[in-house]
Amino acid sequence: MSVYITSTGRFLPGPAISVEDVEKVLGAVHGKPSSLRVQIQKANKIQTRHYAIDENQQTTHSNTEMAAKAAEQCLDRAFVGREKVGMLAVASTQGDLPAPGMASMVQAELDLPEIEILTTHGICSSSIMALKAAWNSMRLEEHDAALVLSSELASRLLKKQRYEAATTSTFAAKRIDFSTEFLRWMLSDGAGALLLQNKPAPKGLSLRIDWIRGFSHAHALPTCMSVGSAGRPEDTRTWQDYDTYAEAEQDGALLLRQDVRLLDNLMRMGVDGYLRLVEEGVSKPSDVDHFLCHYSSHHFRNKILEMLNTAGVGIPEEKWWTNLYTRGNTGCASLFIMLDEFLRTEELTVSEGDRVLCFVPESGRFNTTYLHFTVVSQ
Amino acid sequence: MNNGEISIEGGSNTHAEESVPKAIVLNEHAQVCLQHLLRVWLGFERDLSKVPLLRRIDLGTYTAEDHQVFLRNIRQQVIEGSRWITRTASSFDRDHAEIRSTIISHAVDEHRDYEMLEKDYVASGGELNDILSMERNIGSEALHGFLMHQSSQPNPIDLLGAMWIIEGLGEKMATSWSERIQELTGLGEDSTRFMAYHGHNDSEHMERFYATLDSVCVSDVAVKRIVKTAKVVARLYRL
Repeated sequence: MSVYITSTGRFLPGPAISVEDVEKVLGAVHGKPSSLRVQIQKANKIQTRHYAIDENQQTTHSNTEMAAKAAEQCLDRAFVGREKVGMLAVASTQGDLPAPGMASMVQAELDLPEIEILTTHGICSSSIMALKAAWNSMRLEEHDAALVLSSELASRLLKKQRYEAATTSTFAAKRIDFSTEFLRWMLSDGAGALLLQNKPAPKGLSLRIDWIRGFSHAHALPTCMSVGSAGRPEDTRTWQDYDTYAEAEQDGALLLRQDVRLLDNLMRMGVDGYLRLVEEGVSKPSDVDHFLCHYSSHHFRNKILEMLNTAGVGIPEEKWWTNLYTRGNTGCASLFIMLDEFLRTEELTVSEGDRVLCFVPESGRFNTTYLHFTVVSQ
Repeated sequence: MNNGEISIEGGSNTHAEESVPKAIVLNEHAQVCLQHLLRVWLGFERDLSKVPLLRRIDLGTYTAEDHQVFLRNIRQQVIEGSRWITRTASSFDRDHAEIRSTIISHAVDEHRDYEMLEKDYVASGGELNDILSMERNIGSEALHGFLMHQSSQPNPIDLLGAMWIIEGLGEKMATSWSERIQELTGLGEDSTRFMAYHGHNDSEHMERFYATLDSVCVSDVAVKRIVKTAKVVARLYRL
């Protein structure tokens, strides 16, 4: 049975924050401006982003609220009553509560009665896991409609107080600790929503889900992006192994870390998975009309991409489309926020029959996911 | 190091690291072959990440002693490498003169690299005699046996697959490992010269590789042969 994305929604909290104002919101650690901010922001090229905290680092929207707001917009735009929604799948790197699952909290916020719920946990690819599970439930004909949400509130991890409290951490010990600062100037907040139905919307464009595939390589390499350990190779403790949470925080075990040195592997694995899909005949590069990528193309401008072109399976630059530069990198919410704008933007023409390939890699421990849609109208 | 090099495209290439190689249009078989070779390489690279000694580079726990172990073990492969590659050149007949020229020039470039490696070993704190007396390890025995056999066959085009893996490894050593090893061990530049050297002239090497691939990989059978040899070499390296 074919399943279609018939409506989308998004929520981006507060005003768009410019590059210069980012540190005003997240706060300067111990009152001192970061010496890495400009360099990292130049590299990621994100111009504006949104935060669910204010300039005093107080939370303005909970993660649950953001997910619910994106859902409301999506449902308001849908040509189907919300009572038809049989399943709610919610993805986030970190919900407001460690337990229960975030889908429970969002269900309550949306007041959706007696539905099947699913919470997926991970980082950027968790939304793809949620989408795939919901798609599969639909294919089993258990539901006529399913709502898939992804929401991230990274700024709570990135505010100055987190770093100031980490007094015995690698961040405090080193003059420059790239691994704890890299994501501070990269990630921001937001939520996206997709409505799945067993038939296209009666008006406008829908996306038929053709396939969703994922390849994880956690077995091959150390952890690349994480929260929960102090970031010292010899120290195997995770946050709950400390006597108190206060000690874990002091030691930097609650800081978000990225081992930047390992990051290049993610792209290589992304290329490997892509070539695998080409080899299996699942993906035909020449048929792709639009390529939506969670990473921006300038990250890929290197040798391996040139090799893809030489091997005849490169995707021309003019087919790449992203809104990362203006909406920010919102982790697992990025692709949904991207799809929402993609279907509405006047920047490019999206027409019936167009084929859309999406790629969402997760650096956490190297999960690469791929999605393929066809644009349809009833 | 560049004496005897023959330029396939004609004209001299500048060595600007950033320069994008000229767009090369490969024939369809060569394109498919390159797709497969990329996957063999990427799988091999992942396998390498799981080798305990190399995993320590990623984890940040690699030591000067590890580096000595690494150099002691790779030396025999480098020595034997220059032997099978020269034999490969001699196994090509007159219809393959262009490839023979390319391979000979490549062999001239690299056939005494192991001397550099020995100096690196001493700079890393090792005793020269220890590395000179090191026997081939199990993997080197298997790899050498296989490559000497393949290179003795008439027109052994499949060895392009072997070169792909070995060149890739050289480039990885140069771009991902050499500086990181210095950083982790506190050893100086003179301990990783062998590794770092392989990053030079890389785009030129790639152009030569593509040109050769385009000229010999002209059938499904050729694709299969080249990819299979790449897989075998990748597996034997892992030993």
